[in-house]
Amino acid sequence: MAPILEYLKSTVTPGEAGSVLWMTVYVLVIFGGASLATMVMVWMERKILAHMQVRLGPMRVGPHGLLQPVADSLKLLIKEDVIPRDADRLVFWFAPLMVVMTAFTMYIVLPFGRTHAVTDINIGILFLLGVSSLGVLGVIMGGWSSNSHYPLLGALRSSAQMVSYEIPMGLAVVSAVLMTSLKTGTGTMSMLGIVEAQFLQRQWFAFTFFPLGLIAFVVFAIAMIAETNRAPFDLPEAESELVAGFMTEYSGFRWSLFFLAEYASMMAVSAIAVTLWLGGWLRPFPNALGGHGWDVAFALVPALLFVGIGGACLLGALRMPTIKELKIQRFGLAGFGFLVLALGLVMFVPTVRDRVQDIFWFVAKIACFMYLYIWYRGTFPRYRFDQLMKVGWKVLLPIALGVLLITATIGVRHELWTLIVEVTR
Amino acid sequence: MSLMAIVRRFLLVDFFQGMAVTFRSQHPDQVVTEQYPLERPTIVEGFRGQPRLEVDPDTGLTKCIACGLCVTACPEKLIAVEGERNPETKKKQMTTFSYDVSRCMFCGLCQEACPQECLKLSQGYEMALYSRDGMKLTRENLEQGQKPTEYKR
Repeated sequence: MAPILEYLKSTVTPGEAGSVLWMTVYVLVIFGGASLATMVMVWMERKILAHMQVRLGPMRVGPHGLLQPVADSLKLLIKEDVIPRDADRLVFWFAPLMVVMTAFTMYIVLPFGRTHAVTDINIGILFLLGVSSLGVLGVIMGGWSSNSHYPLLGALRSSAQMVSYEIPMGLAVVSAVLMTSLKTGTGTMSMLGIVEAQFLQRQWFAFTFFPLGLIAFVVFAIAMIAETNRAPFDLPEAESELVAGFMTEYSGFRWSLFFLAEYASMMAVSAIAVTLWLGGWLRPFPNALGGHGWDVAFALVPALLFVGIGGACLLGALRMPTIKELKIQRFGLAGFGFLVLALGLVMFVPTVRDRVQDIFWFVAKIACFMYLYIWYRGTFPRYRFDQLMKVGWKVLLPIALGVLLITATIGVRHELWTLIVEVTR
Repeated sequence: MSLMAIVRRFLLVDFFQGMAVTFRSQHPDQVVTEQYPLERPTIVEGFRGQPRLEVDPDTGLTKCIACGLCVTACPEKLIAVEGERNPETKKKQMTTFSYDVSRCMFCGLCQEACPQECLKLSQGYEMALYSRDGMKLTRENLEQGQKPTEYKR
């Protein structure tokens, strides 16, 4: 009991409090949550993409194909694990591990709330950029060790792409880090600190120095798609040209590790964007709907949403036609409805509410990004490689540099002006 | 490039238009997929599918008079009819009818030649079989209609 009470009282992350137990729990919860989110994401992607292409998507495995990711992962687990004869076995074995490790290492510093991060590092964003670029190493290892044409070409493309998009990404990040020093005077690179700076300034960095923050955010949003090899920048795994790019020779569980890492890094990179520009775990509309009343109202949103979803599920279970084929689905839906309803009711308790709402807003913002990823994939055709390089070096890089310079200049002016005002007063 | 085009390009107007198209097409009404065994397509009139021999609904006897016009009309020569004269009514009666659907190209010349509107290419389309054996349709097949293979769990 003692550790739980201690945890409920703590106002800092387990890493700062030095509690090994809760750090381990957080790591396990985040790992499990990210894996579960990957499965949900696979289903959502197939469904949403299908609807965008006026298809239905998976419909047969479970109601509306809900059990499709379970079936997929079972299939992948029992599939034969092939290692090509001429492959470099050690490197081939290590590459997927490398990719997964880097993808999940990023989650250590992602702040799901003021207390909901494994730990806080004072160079958090630098750590994230460094670790996320290590992922390229795994991709190159996988492509090269396969000793085959397509994986090698995919790995080369991937390394060129990731390295060139890292630069505009880094510059965009720097312009957001510069903004943390406004008003407070001291900048910070800690992920928690960046969100707290947005809280103190009562403004998300996407709207600071409008439109500079927004442009930096858009540059980051484009670069992060290229960074995670997603459409329309999915050249490293272009199906029509390279079979599956660097993971052509991988099968079964190893391939699913690459898959898991891709989705995990997608979520992690979106979390970086959310933290830097969209206020992290802060609720939306800090100014237009400010004040204590609105704070409470927004804190009730997750509980109300859960109760609403649970109620809708129960209503759906009641309205289902009473035939034998739908019996299991009916019980499943009702059970799920009760579970969600109970969770929602628990969230009305003030102490739980205040802790949960941070996670809710953070995850909701990431979910918007995940939808955007699918939306881009459904809309845009793939870039040619020279177009990709042109966008990276000739468009994004100058824009990011310009935004950085102008942000710095305006920021200095802004600080000087406040200083002058204070001195003259 | 005109000024308007530059502004459009700078504000990524075309990107947003494209994304609006895919967003709108998510509406459930737009889905064109048919869940085949559960939902069936509507077959238009004049569709030439599974061949059938019509039966007089009042008497239950075949309408076929074994005139052999369909046999001569068929460009593939895949129809064979045999009939014999009934001594009582002095009318010709069909005894066997064979229709090799594996060679049929569904041109519909036989149904046009039929004076009794007996032989018809109906709107049925479930004629897939695992071998050619069942493709030589007999009189029973043609009168009752060929049943598709049913699957069980």
